[in-house]
Amino acid sequence: MSNAARTFLGVHLVPMLGPTIAAAAPTNAVEGKAKHVIYLFMAGGMSHVDTFDPKPKKKEVMGKTEAIATKADGLMVGHYLSKTAEVMDKVCVISSMNSTQGAHEQGAYVMHTSYDMRGTVQHPSLGSWVMKLGGKIHPELPGYVAINSAPEMTGGGFFGAKYSAAPVGSPEEGLKDSHRGHELSEEDFGRRLSLADKLNRQFHGRYPNVEVKAYEELYRDAVSLMNSKDLEAFDLRREPESTRSLYGTGRFSQGCLLARRLVEHGVRFVEVQLAGWDTHYDNFTGVEGRCKEFDQAYAALLTDLEKCGKLKDTLVVVATEFGRTPEINADHQGGRDHHPSAFSCLLAGGGVKGGMRHGETDASGSKVKDGIVTVQDFNATIAHALGLNWNEIIMSPSKRPFQIADKGKPLTSIFS
Amino acid sequence: MIALRLISFFAMLVSVLPAGAETPASGEFAMLKKAAFRVDQQIAAFYRSKNLQVPSVTDDATFMRRAFLVAVGRIPTAEEALDFIEIDDPTKRELLISYLLGSEGYSSHMSNWVFDLLRVSDVRNGTIGTNTPYRHWVREAVAANMPWDQFTTRLLSATGDGWDKDTAAVGYYTRDFGMPLDNLSNTMRIFLGKRMECAQCHDDPFGETERHDFYELAAFTHGQEPIGKKLIEPLYTELRLGDKYMTDDYHIGRMLVDSIYGLSLGGDGAGRIALPPDYQYRDGKPGDIIAGKTPFGKMVRMSDRKDKGGGRKELADWMVNKTDDQFAAVIANRMWKRVMGKGVIEPTDEYVEAKDTNHPELVKLLSDLMRELKYDLRAFQQVLLLTKTFQFATNPNASVVEGGDDFHGRKIERLSAEQIWDSLITLADGDPDRKPRKQLDDRIKVAGRTVLAGKKSMSQLSKELLALQSEAEVRSYFNRLVEEVKSDSSSGGDGSMMSMSAAGGHDSDAMVRASELPSPAPRDHFLYVFGASDREVVDGASKDPNVGQVLSLMNGFVQDELVNRSGAHLYKSLEGITSDAEKIRRLYLAILSRTPTAEEMALMLDELKARGDEGCRNVVSCLVMSSEFLFLQ
Repeated sequence: MSNAARTFLGVHLVPMLGPTIAAAAPTNAVEGKAKHVIYLFMAGGMSHVDTFDPKPKKKEVMGKTEAIATKADGLMVGHYLSKTAEVMDKVCVISSMNSTQGAHEQGAYVMHTSYDMRGTVQHPSLGSWVMKLGGKIHPELPGYVAINSAPEMTGGGFFGAKYSAAPVGSPEEGLKDSHRGHELSEEDFGRRLSLADKLNRQFHGRYPNVEVKAYEELYRDAVSLMNSKDLEAFDLRREPESTRSLYGTGRFSQGCLLARRLVEHGVRFVEVQLAGWDTHYDNFTGVEGRCKEFDQAYAALLTDLEKCGKLKDTLVVVATEFGRTPEINADHQGGRDHHPSAFSCLLAGGGVKGGMRHGETDASGSKVKDGIVTVQDFNATIAHALGLNWNEIIMSPSKRPFQIADKGKPLTSIFS
Repeated sequence: MIALRLISFFAMLVSVLPAGAETPASGEFAMLKKAAFRVDQQIAAFYRSKNLQVPSVTDDATFMRRAFLVAVGRIPTAEEALDFIEIDDPTKRELLISYLLGSEGYSSHMSNWVFDLLRVSDVRNGTIGTNTPYRHWVREAVAANMPWDQFTTRLLSATGDGWDKDTAAVGYYTRDFGMPLDNLSNTMRIFLGKRMECAQCHDDPFGETERHDFYELAAFTHGQEPIGKKLIEPLYTELRLGDKYMTDDYHIGRMLVDSIYGLSLGGDGAGRIALPPDYQYRDGKPGDIIAGKTPFGKMVRMSDRKDKGGGRKELADWMVNKTDDQFAAVIANRMWKRVMGKGVIEPTDEYVEAKDTNHPELVKLLSDLMRELKYDLRAFQQVLLLTKTFQFATNPNASVVEGGDDFHGRKIERLSAEQIWDSLITLADGDPDRKPRKQLDDRIKVAGRTVLAGKKSMSQLSKELLALQSEAEVRSYFNRLVEEVKSDSSSGGDGSMMSMSAAGGHDSDAMVRASELPSPAPRDHFLYVFGASDREVVDGASKDPNVGQVLSLMNGFVQDELVNRSGAHLYKSLEGITSDAEKIRRLYLAILSRTPTAEEMALMLDELKARGDEGCRNVVSCLVMSSEFLFLQ
């Protein structure tokens, strides 16, 4: 085989020997203990009063939901979360979240980017920021993977495609199409790539456009990814049946397991989405259904991470775009509407103190009474946990200053 | 040979005449051309005023590919490409546009656009209920080129049975049952380019919209409830909470609630509404009943004394007819973006008055033209496609003006997920528009099983059920239905490809247009990887590159269905060809819609020489992986 075919854009087409996890640790690490983030996003707006901020004394708020005790003294959760109750000693509930955005798109956008939507700029998502500030850990695997997530919330924004998430639609399938076809020889594969590369260079020469350029770089990433011996990180079949059933069977559940495998192999940021929390209609049936999948998977994830020793350097985040109204809308068969002014998010692992609650809402869960945490503060806290410099200013191509958490300040009291 | 092709091209054109767009022979066409000239005059005036050089007009091959992708959302087949390039007719660009707009492909591509804008999905949010009658209604309305004002009015004022084809537009509201306020914000954004999401909960600190205004508007659409759903509620509660839970009885009950009642819409807009429990301003108290009142344009008011009704009709009428230029200007700008790549004003869902834009005369001209053409979106797009502006050569430089089109030539832009998919299946399987559109699956399904096949349909069931007047009637109807289903011998397993296609549906692997596949695309589908909208939010599609996309071009669908499948359509044009150079020329035409340069020819000839048949596959593979394939020029 010719040399030209053996390498493509300087990337070897055959797996190389030797260690693959390079020492690409964050250069500006300060004091954070976490290296990885598993970001579980509850799309649609998770009801805080039915899950992590129950108000057992207020029957009119709780409706059909009952509060149950957990392994952590004084922390109660909704009765749909019996397995999670057993791991609450590892979890810090932030029950004083506050957002200014009450519509899904805007709410999910600000959670993911720390900025409000603008027509003129696409902000990078949190995972892209973490990659930008902290770098990749594994040199060949993607640094940022989004499982079952919305592409428009996991993009690289003005950082470009290099910082956008590698999408996994179905955890069972892993990273789609990451293997060369059996019938295709290595030589022909190499020839194809170098031919395409020649054509692309000409095209880029004619149109020096950032998106065009992005594809050229992605081919390079893709080839080194295909050749990584750690590609098996994406293969759930390598997990014993007992572990797989520990998480449950849904797409989210298996996505959580895949997330654990990925961080073990050196992926920095993994997002997994669980949609369907928009319970305007028949909230209690809706929440019960969502919790069924969440409860088992979340409890399994924390337990499993701890068992394999990764909980101490993996920050597990549970986030959502807003909470839901303490008022129950009888017209909508017991529905709850959007409620951005007070809601709950969770942090666990990565140096976070467990079994605690930060902040407090009023008696009905309607307003934040104490310890308000803005969306930006929350994201600054994630950055802090990773030892990233949350104050660092990065200029956009249009020369405007941006920060990972905008003007947010980290909540340092929740770290041990 | 060339004469023969010329004939075949005209034959294609003539064959689409009955349903199609205006053709050069018609009087209407002359009118459209004149309008295109008026648009070009505006652009020319802009160039003169700025002392700029007018961009050159692009070559035939680039024009053809651009026109295909913009008008019908796919690349030309090798045959179409050859026909067009070889015809020697000065009017062939106009002919091509008429051909494209008259073809089935136009409505397929347009449907993707409408589905994204209206968030049309197959399953209703948070339920297992189907939404396909609504999807079907929208798809058919686009196929019939229903004028935009009429389309808007039908959507906003519909009431009744979701399975009845005359009222299936109710899906616009039933899609969002339980969240009428979000639905209304979207309505304002989609049709009037007015963003009101903030005002759902508080006064907009930066704009002029107050929460009170929003509720006054919401009064028009208030009272969205399924028809007679209360009649089945006691029965359904028993099924859910009693010992019948998860039995056939329960599944039948749930199907009725989700897919029949849940798809129907009673009331027609009360006209008044109560202020919400957390209302926080001085101009009203929680629980106060306020009447419908429109926030701008010609004012329309409703009564606060009684539910006058007809609110949704009033609202639709106001939007379409009483908002000055706004309704026409917003859709005209959206169409400009669709054809030219960028709106005259960006973002396209924030309306700006003509006088406050960079191009006031052009904006005015376009909204006048929209009305003149009676909101015929196909004719409007035909005008834009006929302009010289559409034919400008590609501009490699980034836009210099923020907030809209700068008219400095076509911006290079990645194709949408749907355009890429539709182009790939064209290569794999030939012209996809010869296949019939997806039909509405009207069969009754209980927990995934088809029942009463050939005996009763969903639309029949819906009609009968919604006509019932009392709880007792519903109960006895339900009991009879359960009996019928249980004694039905035709019930059987379902979900196989055969029964799907028998019902006119397609599974997600089918090689059909994206517009005929499940909506939204499943998360493991090619369309998802390339950023197709999940149809949860307005215009949710993304063109962001990611590593999954290049993997899929290198190893996935492209390799399986195109490169390595010798039966793939693009190899057909190579049959009987012995010359390597001719093979390469045909592959270039099929994939990139142009002939290779001398340099490229030399490169590819070497490849064929070195690798023989495998070389041919390598050529196909590298052309599909090339940026030129993925980007619109």
